[in-house]
Amino acid sequence: MSNQPRVSANLSKTGNVVRDSALGLVTETVDPYLRFNHAIWHNGPLTAAEVELARLRNARKVNCVFCKAVRYDIAIEAGLDEAKVEQITDDFDQSELSQREKLILAYTDYYLQQPTAMTTEFKQRLTEEFSAAEIVHLSLAIMLCNCFSRCAVSLGGMPKDDLPLMQISVPE
Amino acid sequence: MTWFTEANTQQDIIDRAPTLAPTFKAFYDSFWQLSSVPPSLLELCRLRVAQLHQSDYQWQHQQIELNTEKRQSLSQWSKSAVYTDAEKACLVFTEVYCIDPQAITDAHAGAVKSELGDAGLVALIEALGLFYGMTRVSQLWGF
Repeated sequence: MSNQPRVSANLSKTGNVVRDSALGLVTETVDPYLRFNHAIWHNGPLTAAEVELARLRNARKVNCVFCKAVRYDIAIEAGLDEAKVEQITDDFDQSELSQREKLILAYTDYYLQQPTAMTTEFKQRLTEEFSAAEIVHLSLAIMLCNCFSRCAVSLGGMPKDDLPLMQISVPE
Repeated sequence: MTWFTEANTQQDIIDRAPTLAPTFKAFYDSFWQLSSVPPSLLELCRLRVAQLHQSDYQWQHQQIELNTEKRQSLSQWSKSAVYTDAEKACLVFTEVYCIDPQAITDAHAGAVKSELGDAGLVALIEALGLFYGMTRVSQLWGF
């Protein structure tokens, strides 16, 4: 993996972390991305804490150092604390997380590892816990987080070592 | 019909989340209007992602009409003369991206940049993330 960024953003500094990044080079997609990202965090039926669980599970599996270090303030306000975050490990099924939270992590793992392998029993458990809109929300949230963590890895310049935690707001 | 709704297509299922569907659709549609990456090139990459996932659902979907020979030869693209240098650079990149983005080399990225520029490389990476995601979500949903 390259430690050097593969593109130089070379943009005027707007103060917006997305517009000032390499993503700002793609002028046709940056505004639609920001609007979709806003909707994922603010407009869906799942809480921001639930979305953050899936985001952090993805970040750890993809090994996006930036994504792993970020904590969105909206998720903390919605109840996701570091005690919960520490339980997002490969042994989450044995953790003290709620059954709903464990289902979110397990569904994320199916997406990441083997999307065709979901059992009938697991699908039943999901539909007992989540509405159709919630399953769609979770799916789109995982897709979005995975898309941009893989993007960060693909663009190079990823630090080798973990970064300090950074509490930030969802970019608007 | 899938396991959690009676909707019959991926888009119809996404519409079951009405507070999210319009912004998702606008984001997805924006990739087909890029100045840096031709839609036909994106469609080739989308279809290659479908092949690598063995997703017949995504393979059967036609986002835009492609040259028939290019569509039919896609699984053997590296041995075919019908693809341009830009298409080949992007198809190599697509395959490595799908296997492991950490395995992408500066040479892979450089080959795409020399054809599409910096903005084209970023756009391709974003688009691949969406195609990869749409394919995996369609598989989660039973398509």
